[in-house]
Amino acid sequence: MSIKKADEGYVKVSLVNQSVFIRKKKSCPLRSIPLPEITYKNLKLLNKFLSERGKILPSRITNVVPKKQKALANAIKIARQLALISPIKKEF
Amino acid sequence: MPRPFHFKIKIFSMALYETVFIARQDLSADDVDALTGKFTKIITDGKGKIVSREYWGLRNLAFKVKKNSRGHYVLLNIKCEYPVVAELNRVMSYNEDIIRSAIFNVESHRDESSLFASQTAKDYKPGKSQAKPNSIDSLIDQIQIDI
Repeated sequence: MSIKKADEGYVKVSLVNQSVFIRKKKSCPLRSIPLPEITYKNLKLLNKFLSERGKILPSRITNVVPKKQKALANAIKIARQLALISPIKKEF
Repeated sequence: MPRPFHFKIKIFSMALYETVFIARQDLSADDVDALTGKFTKIITDGKGKIVSREYWGLRNLAFKVKKNSRGHYVLLNIKCEYPVVAELNRVMSYNEDIIRSAIFNVESHRDESSLFASQTAKDYKPGKSQAKPNSIDSLIDQIQIDI
């Protein structure tokens, strides 16, 4: 059995008679940002984790660590209450 | 044996708080400063201390709040006991000039202001960002999320 790096996202694993592609585990995009930095004031950061309609993106898509996802969701909800972020973005 | 009631003295420790309030769009810069002066007096009377204050300007709201489409944002960093903050919350909720307000208990105050801000509404110049460049801003630009 030998492992070759085929692509950035995938790893090629070749067995005796067949070769299989396995998806590599993605790392947290917030690994370089400390936890107290995730606040309702940091709008630049919060807008990256919203969908086009203004919903919070789930961590199974963004791969954020649970501790930081909780802080992120709380910060977004506070920012919505203070009218810094709109809860829904309507299409025209 | 439990102590009689008059022996019980509640002692509140000094804690760090952060308050944000949005004032009505019709107010002038002097009115906003007078309004914040009213709240700082409540805190200083209760032996509290105001660590710092920020004025974020007349910002566009994300949605209309009480028929206002814009609002003056003011942030106060406070160090005081709990009953003083409870009094501040009560006064702010009754004031008609204030659209929204929020009080948070925080572990530490931040020196850098994240939004462009000045200390008082009089000093504020629209369009000019007066905040120090944040060291994390460059790290945030590098974040890429592919859906």
